[in-house]
Amino acid sequence: MSYVDAGYIVAIGGSFLYGLGLFLRRRRWERALSVKESTPDERPAVAERP
Amino acid sequence: MSASMSTSGAVRTPWRPRWLAVVGIGAVVTTALTVWLGLWVTPPDEVQGNLARLLYIHPAVATVALYWAGGVALLGSLLYLWPRTRSFFWDRLAASAVEVGAVFSALTLVTGSLWGRPVWGVWWTWDARLTSTALLLLLELGYLALRRVPADAHIRAKRCAVAAILIAIDVPIVHFSVDWWNTLHQSGTILDPGFNLHVHGSMLWTMLLSFVAFTLIFVWLLAMRYRIEVLQDAVGDQELEVSLSERWNEDAELVGVGGGSGAPGEDDGGGS
Amino acid sequence: MLHDAVLVAGKDLRIEARSRVALWQVVPFAILVLVLLAFAIGPDQASLRHAAPGIFWVALLFSTVLAIQRSVAVESGEGTRDGLRLSGIDPAGIFLGKAAAIGLQLLALQLILWAGVTFLFDVRVHVIWLAVVACLLATVGLACAGVLYGALSAGLRVRDTLLPLLVLPVLAPVLLAGSKVWQAALDNNVSSGTQWLKILIPFAVVYLVVGIVLYGPLQEAA
Repeated sequence: MSYVDAGYIVAIGGSFLYGLGLFLRRRRWERALSVKESTPDERPAVAERP
Repeated sequence: MSASMSTSGAVRTPWRPRWLAVVGIGAVVTTALTVWLGLWVTPPDEVQGNLARLLYIHPAVATVALYWAGGVALLGSLLYLWPRTRSFFWDRLAASAVEVGAVFSALTLVTGSLWGRPVWGVWWTWDARLTSTALLLLLELGYLALRRVPADAHIRAKRCAVAAILIAIDVPIVHFSVDWWNTLHQSGTILDPGFNLHVHGSMLWTMLLSFVAFTLIFVWLLAMRYRIEVLQDAVGDQELEVSLSERWNEDAELVGVGGGSGAPGEDDGGGS
Repeated sequence: MLHDAVLVAGKDLRIEARSRVALWQVVPFAILVLVLLAFAIGPDQASLRHAAPGIFWVALLFSTVLAIQRSVAVESGEGTRDGLRLSGIDPAGIFLGKAAAIGLQLLALQLILWAGVTFLFDVRVHVIWLAVVACLLATVGLACAGVLYGALSAGLRVRDTLLPLLVLPVLAPVLLAGSKVWQAALDNNVSSGTQWLKILIPFAVVYLVVGIVLYGPLQEAA
């Protein structure tokens, strides 16, 4: 692999991976929000904490 | 507090704006075109040969990292600090821009190194641009660390806005001083060969296209990052509790009751 | 504003004088950095002398971080910051006062470090005024930037780890220019030295002005 190919892969692949990460993070936070809004008071997982 | 209140209405509806899809498709198409033009269509440079093809990547990435991201971050921070325009929109935008900017700064450094190695013979030189980009990346990481510290939304926003402005002040000083440091101390001739590229014709168009491509990528990433910022604020303090409870459940699954002072709740009853 | 600054500086310096933290922790730390960097470079006198300006400034920068942390810690007691805020003292005055307190401590520290490099590395500064001017200018810049970043990290539980990350890259130009001026002062090369002062001057001025402007909003945020 030449330096040129590596440069293209790093730049485009890097921004793609970051974008993918953002996508997954967004999904995670949207899920967290829907959990929060559907069960505003119960918080079952937390309630198990002693 | 008020932040999550004021935005939660807008947050609830799934956010899939059409313009973002257009930007995303545009980014993919222009990037693909840039790769095609850059790697296959354009001729190799007279001086640098095929290495000149990095011209269609590195300057665009660097422009996004330094000017687009830096500009948005500075603008957002200034407008947040200015009482008349104070709104969490600017704060979130600035924070998103810093994170995207940090990614692009890192990409700038890596692509620059990949270009420098064959042209200059070294991965790294203490050139003003390289050094100040590296310092910019460190400063951005510092900002992001500051951002991660839990605090009241107003306080965090103000603190981060000041930090961003200080970064914006610092980078030109660093650039200037390293420039001097370098020119006064090294002969500085390493940088000369190979940078007298003759950009013309298809090369120029491809280069312009690469700027469009990476700008679109930047806009898309920025919007996505902004959305996450909104969601995070809406979820708010829940974050800590969610991760804590995840942690408790993990511990319970992994260790069972024997895990030290772990949770003797119902779900980890099958221990040692 | 200046009157307020004198008040705040007097308060901070009195606290330092009584608690002796600066004396018993910051000064030994600075000397420790000198010795450690000497270990890193090796016992060769020539290379030590060559590296001495850089060692001096690195030690100063690290100690500056400690001094900033100390200056923030002084205000971190229960309700101290609120007290300071409610006292009606102009934020710019507080900024200048705290910067002056740190600056005076840094000047004292530089005297000690100067003696240290002279003694340990057998360094002789030929153009003394150049080195002194560099120290004075750098002190203004370090103190102003330091107080700003100290205020930025004040009230954070993680400030001890966050502050170095935030402030050290910002202080890098001082390290760069300071070492160069000192190198020039050692080599009797006045023209090169005065050139490098041109970086220390804007650094000091910029952070002085920015601090006066931004300390107010920052204090509200702390």
